[in-house]
Amino acid sequence: MTKQELPADRSAIALARFDARTRLVIRPLLTKKVIAEHRRNPLGDHSDALKRVLNYLRRSNMLTPYVVICTKPFREWRLARLSGERGKAPTLIEAPSYNSEAKAMHAVFLKRVEEVMHD
Amino acid sequence: MTAVHLHGYIDRISVQPGERINFMVSAEGVSRYHAEIVRLINGDRNPAGPGPKEEVVTTTLGGEYPGRFQPICSGSHIVVEDHDGLLNLGAAISIHAFIMPTTPAKGAQAIISRWDPERRAGWALVVDEHGRLALWIGDGGGSPVIAAAPAPLVANVWYSAGASYDRETGRAIVHLAPAVNSVNSALGRVAKLTPPVWLEMQGASLTFHCDARAVIAGWAAGATPAGTLLVHGHYNGKIDRPLIHGRALSVMELAALAGGREPDGRGLIARWDFADGIGDQGIPTDHVTDTSGNDLHGRCINLPARAMTGYNWNGREEHFIHAPAEYGAIHFHDDDLEDAGWEADFELTVPDTMRSAIYAAKVTAGDAIDYIPFVVRPPTGAPSAGIAFLMPTASYMAYSNTQIVFAPSELFVGRSAVLTPDDIYLYEHPELGLSTYDYHSDGSGVCYVSRWRPIPNLRPHHRFDSLLWGLPADLHLIDWLEARGFDYDVITDEDLHREGAALLRPYKVVLTGTHPEYYSAAMLDGMEDYLAAGGRLMYLGGNGFYWVTSYHPGKPHVIEVRKGEGGSRAWQARPGEYFHSTTGERGGLWRNRARAPQKLVGVGFAAQGFDYSTYYRRMPDSHDQRAEFIFEGLPSDEVIGDFGLSEGGAAGHELDRYDLTLGTPPDALLLASSEGHSDNFQRVVEEIFFNYPGAGGTQDSGVRSDIVYFTTAGGGAVFSASSIAWCGSLAHNNYGNNVSRITENVLRRFSSDRPLVET
Repeated sequence: MTKQELPADRSAIALARFDARTRLVIRPLLTKKVIAEHRRNPLGDHSDALKRVLNYLRRSNMLTPYVVICTKPFREWRLARLSGERGKAPTLIEAPSYNSEAKAMHAVFLKRVEEVMHD
Repeated sequence: MTAVHLHGYIDRISVQPGERINFMVSAEGVSRYHAEIVRLINGDRNPAGPGPKEEVVTTTLGGEYPGRFQPICSGSHIVVEDHDGLLNLGAAISIHAFIMPTTPAKGAQAIISRWDPERRAGWALVVDEHGRLALWIGDGGGSPVIAAAPAPLVANVWYSAGASYDRETGRAIVHLAPAVNSVNSALGRVAKLTPPVWLEMQGASLTFHCDARAVIAGWAAGATPAGTLLVHGHYNGKIDRPLIHGRALSVMELAALAGGREPDGRGLIARWDFADGIGDQGIPTDHVTDTSGNDLHGRCINLPARAMTGYNWNGREEHFIHAPAEYGAIHFHDDDLEDAGWEADFELTVPDTMRSAIYAAKVTAGDAIDYIPFVVRPPTGAPSAGIAFLMPTASYMAYSNTQIVFAPSELFVGRSAVLTPDDIYLYEHPELGLSTYDYHSDGSGVCYVSRWRPIPNLRPHHRFDSLLWGLPADLHLIDWLEARGFDYDVITDEDLHREGAALLRPYKVVLTGTHPEYYSAAMLDGMEDYLAAGGRLMYLGGNGFYWVTSYHPGKPHVIEVRKGEGGSRAWQARPGEYFHSTTGERGGLWRNRARAPQKLVGVGFAAQGFDYSTYYRRMPDSHDQRAEFIFEGLPSDEVIGDFGLSEGGAAGHELDRYDLTLGTPPDALLLASSEGHSDNFQRVVEEIFFNYPGAGGTQDSGVRSDIVYFTTAGGGAVFSASSIAWCGSLAHNNYGNNVSRITENVLRRFSSDRPLVET
């Protein structure tokens, strides 16, 4: 952080540092086994490692805000990015589409894992 | 190609034969639509379930109708009645109010105005586009006098805001002084705030009459197609005791007002006391009193929040009815809505042939479709069945038009958000208003909800964050009742609120929906009276009887909820604002008003979680002879409900628990308890006095649902399934399953004349 530009809300600095520290703890947990566990069952009773990963992914506001849109009830799902601004619709990601809610949720998971592993 | 949208609403949600219901519809992208009445049996489109079922009802109104777009003008404000044009000043004016702006940087907002925005004529005290207090004086000649205080306003802080103008001298004054005490603002007395500032400037000499209406918290901007006043420049925040003088006050006089001292009455035209009308029953009125003697009274539009702490609240008295002088504020929001104000397209006078049931007006145009649900109840005092389904309309309203799926709520619900096109439409159209699960655009909680507006998420097929919830979940019960051959009447929360136990008494048994969460005192009294006198209840949901809810006594289409210091809550009322304006009672949880749900139904809210649902395991009481009828036909060791359309089990979403310390009757039988919830199910916050690690389902035994049964005096009884997910399991295996069997065993026995063995 440059000296000139501190955020008006200083707790943002604590948040950013915490997030950076936590990523270092989360990265080693993102094993093939944990990723496969999520793919098998995004909404199950998860292992401790997957729970800790999901708790981080779900609370971190440093990650792109992906959501699932059900474009055809019980048939088709797509991903979107929230605008964060009431009145402004989420940006739909046209492709790919998914034929199950679980696949769409896993796709969100993978995108977040990708972001966590880099930067 | 314009997208086609059809949206509608009704003026009454529960009607009996002979009564009339009006339907308001707006059509975008089409000029005609088809309308018919259908009886709703099931709405859930899940292919794993029985599928949508509806029956067309032949009525006078089936057919084609011309469609047109009808706008909605949200935003609360006060319209002043000024028949004699006393506020149409043109030579001199002073304006003063105490203000607490909540979004000063959101663009120009009028605190009080009589302003024509097209001609730029009249007068207005505003928060300008730079976030400063400013005075606008104009004559339509293109060069209004604009005077702004040099310091920007800070959000959520009280100020004295004053201004004056004198045509004789052309002098304009704007005076701004913080009015912060220890409790009334977001900052306290220790923080550095701008000291009082004023601008005194020499402007042009203008005669500033205009034709506009006088408005508080906005400016008049024409008329809507339906003829009501259109208002723009909505002010977000609180205003307390505004006044207008017909002479130009000096800086010293404006400073005296800032100190709470009234100048002499010369030239006083209007002085509004927003606390006038506060009495034992709260302040359930839109009327705003002018105490100047000129009768320039006002009317609130779109339900701005009343009974709100004023600039001089000192924090000692928190009940507004005991210190009305400190509750002279109204909190305005640019996204408040009471009445969409649409013209009705068609109406129905309910024929005698329409049996009591859940219906909807189904409007269609090509692929676009909307269902506008309503209930036909039996005539007062003339039930047509021994079973009544009590449709939880107060709870439907509490959730109506919620935006919570867009909030960062994943951690709370344990799943990625799944949105529908209806959710996105609501998000893109803030003019449709909000729910009690939302914050206003200025960050304050939503405390009033009206059903005089389209509610796209109160539809038979809607999915709430991908879950079966509310009306669609309750329709699974209706579908099951019909599949199992039960006759039933449908009544609503509004009917119970109005008629109390008299509504329920004719019925052998009453069934709740899956989530009867919002209850008024009158509803609770009615249910309690009914049960204590021998009534029978099947509580087929979870987290019921939870939030204190009041109906506006003059507006049955409006409810109020103040989410207070405790409870699993989407927002928290500010200190001093826990009491309901519409009734004067304290808001929050019924548990914290000494009426925990355990006292009524033997169980109360224990935990929530939305990843997967699970099963129940029978408890020793389930083998008690007195409960034999409940498990008739079932193997003794079978787990119950390890299946279902509500995420795979009968125990899920929100769970209730037996608890003797909270009022479960000591003779209640604990028939079964759920097992195997994940750590996304956490103990409810109202039971956690200090945090502790391990409050989730794998580590906290209090995270569970308890099925409870007990008898009451006079032959009554209560069966509590204690889970929102229960009814989602009824249809499994073509209704041949143990959740269906248990529900049927209880319902048959409760609706028969055979007495129950006392527990």
